[in-house]
Amino acid sequence: MALNRRSFLELAAATTALTAIGVQASHAQDADTLRIGIAANGPRHSDPNLTTQGSDNWATEQMYEQLVRPDDGRFALTPEEYLPTLATEWTQSEDAKSWTFKLREGVQFHRNYGEMTSEDVVFSFERAIKEGTNRTILSNIESVVATGPYEIAITLKQPDVNLLGTSIFNNNTSIVSKKAYEEIGGEAFATDAVGTGPYELVQFDPEFGTRLKRHEGYWGDKAKIANVECVYIADTTARTLALLAGDVDIIEAVRAPGWIDSILQRDPTLKIDMTTPGSFNTLHINLTRKPFDNLLVRQALMHAIDRPAVAAALAPMGGVMAGLQPDFFPAGFKTEDLPAELQYPYDPEKSKALLAEAGFPNGISFDSLCSQREDYSSTMLIVQELIRPAGFNMNLIIGDHTAYHADNRSDKNTLAMHSSSYPPIPTQIYFQQLASASEVKSDGSGGGNYSHYGVAMPGIDDLLNQALTASDYETYLDLCKQIELQVLRDLPLIGLSTLGFTAVRSAKVDLGYEVESGYARWRFHRATKTV
Amino acid sequence: MARYLLLRLGDAIPTLFLVLTLVFIAMRILPGDPALAALGDAALPEQLAEFRERMGLNVPLWQQYFNFLGGVLTLDFGRSLLSNTPVLTLIAQNLPYTIELTLAAMAMGIVAGIPMGVLAATNRNKLPDAGVRLFSLIGYAIPDFFLGALLLITFALNLGWFPINGAGTDFASRMHHIFLPALTLAFVKAAFLGRLTRTSLLEVLGKDYVRTARAKGAREKRVIYNHGLRNAMLPITTGLGLSLLSTLSGSVAVELVFNRPGIGRLLIDAIAQRDYAVIQGGVLVFAVFVVLINLLMDLVYVVVDPRVRVS
Repeated sequence: MALNRRSFLELAAATTALTAIGVQASHAQDADTLRIGIAANGPRHSDPNLTTQGSDNWATEQMYEQLVRPDDGRFALTPEEYLPTLATEWTQSEDAKSWTFKLREGVQFHRNYGEMTSEDVVFSFERAIKEGTNRTILSNIESVVATGPYEIAITLKQPDVNLLGTSIFNNNTSIVSKKAYEEIGGEAFATDAVGTGPYELVQFDPEFGTRLKRHEGYWGDKAKIANVECVYIADTTARTLALLAGDVDIIEAVRAPGWIDSILQRDPTLKIDMTTPGSFNTLHINLTRKPFDNLLVRQALMHAIDRPAVAAALAPMGGVMAGLQPDFFPAGFKTEDLPAELQYPYDPEKSKALLAEAGFPNGISFDSLCSQREDYSSTMLIVQELIRPAGFNMNLIIGDHTAYHADNRSDKNTLAMHSSSYPPIPTQIYFQQLASASEVKSDGSGGGNYSHYGVAMPGIDDLLNQALTASDYETYLDLCKQIELQVLRDLPLIGLSTLGFTAVRSAKVDLGYEVESGYARWRFHRATKTV
Repeated sequence: MARYLLLRLGDAIPTLFLVLTLVFIAMRILPGDPALAALGDAALPEQLAEFRERMGLNVPLWQQYFNFLGGVLTLDFGRSLLSNTPVLTLIAQNLPYTIELTLAAMAMGIVAGIPMGVLAATNRNKLPDAGVRLFSLIGYAIPDFFLGALLLITFALNLGWFPINGAGTDFASRMHHIFLPALTLAFVKAAFLGRLTRTSLLEVLGKDYVRTARAKGAREKRVIYNHGLRNAMLPITTGLGLSLLSTLSGSVAVELVFNRPGIGRLLIDAIAQRDYAVIQGGVLVFAVFVVLINLLMDLVYVVVDPRVRVS
């Protein structure tokens, strides 16, 4: 087609007109819709039983509920702090192996799928145990049976004084409608699940994200904002600009040094919501690599890492770890409460002396692999600089994040950083990162104990087994504290810092509560928005 | 003509086969575990083992390869390891956005680039020529992602004229959303086509038959468009084909910067997560496009230059 001057002008005029229409549509501010920009390329599942990427949980958090929950914006630090949610009361046997839960009556599922009963709860638990993405944490459950229309009984294989935290408040054990599952079918349910939460799913769109609307039949206080939209924006610049331009109301932050400062410079009215502790950034020392099999070398490394400085460099998201648990977690220690010899203050001179005593007066050089993801690379670059004056010449090989984890899992690393989020259930990190059962294997079939603790040298297996089978909470905590001290004596794993999960919010949005701790997602049912 | 077309199509099959094989091998050589990427680094060994079994990742490589090739022949590209969605569905959902962006960018690039080249050639060594050459230089030098971010900050964030991300829903909002990403890609196209048109036209305008046309008293406009530009079209056609290919590949970065859905963004995510089936399907789509564009260029040659038909 020949494009003459007339048709070109017509086309230009049409484009300009359409653009003008679009400007109004795009920048319309809607007080009844809350939009969050999520750091991923697209949603994968909306079924709480199948989510694997953390970002999907921003939507599932709004749509589903468990039998109990902690208060908004925080972890429940002890079993007493869990709030009745879909269960109104519960009891445990003396040996902590039998638990009964009375269910809330009158709870309605989304989209008129009827009232929640014990049949739905049993169905949800059985599905999580058989098909869920996190079956390991449920492996201690022997049976879940309905003992009445509004009562269920859970029997465990071994006692678990922390059942509410380990298994009941868990994304995978969110309660979904059995009737809806049977009607919709397993495959479609993966992106179209039906729950009881304050918001219900309207649209699961792989290109856009998820659209939710208020659940009008919600049993509790109804959500204040009518709609929630989870928009996926992986690129950090695009996500930042989307917030600054008002396209979204909240974004997941970039967890790198200086990012918060830079976005606040651009718009000082923005609000920062941050969990403490967030991720536990730990450093595994491979005990099978010389000279790290030598305790003196590990002590030297510990004295060479200025851990408060690592946390400060990640400010305001970073937090100091005295051991492996944050100090406000039940099994955590404050640095000053530790025995003097386990405090490991930053002391490069002492570090040098320890290295010399270990037979390395000129220091040591070694390679370490590192992920290019901003939280990993920035933390390890800080560590690299901190330990250099003490004589540790660490050659960091920074590469692709997926490859990095595969290399760690194949026992290819020397000092392997790991970033993971844990609730105040201390045994989870001990089991995943320190138990001999989780020892890393060179063929990739092992677990996340990259230091070979418990195999290359005696570990904490006995204490851990005792803690896992304790039938009273105080004994459990005491055993966990003993584990903390033993790890600090043996140093197979160093707690580098914590790194809060952070979201940046427009000043127009009030969450209705303070975010203090908890997982990397929070609910919007109490939020309000002004235009 | 039909025989020519069939021969060309016949050439494409081994090319596509080779691309598929290379992608399959490359993904397996690349370090990284799709099971770990899907389930997270805190996944336990038994969860990982079960995932590998469920997704057919535990069978020998040769078997995975033949399963994959067999699937391609029946247009079954498998399912995403991460979302369990059929790859064909993911491609069908994303491809229209990439095609839309590529065509819009090409249209903008052609509308701006060819007239610029004509302007430069007909004003050789004058101010418009210098301007076009400077523009071309900038166009070549500036990376897509940088220009995209620049346009985004200026026109979307500061001026608020365009949306920051997404692709829109209805026709009006889709036009609105596509403008800046298409402009980003079109900038380089215009620079390239402007420069190419200038050079080709200058070469043609120096030929004897142009001089003859002028001597016969033909009007300058007619000389430039009918005698000059028409004969300069062969290299420009080649340039258009190359531009189309580079626009398609450039869409990857632009889709990311503007957070637009599309095959590029789908692929980037799949590569980062080692989602083998999606990578294989996505690369196949790109390969099919490259083959089709090359085929189209060959056909256009035949139409534009009768000498090709004879040979």
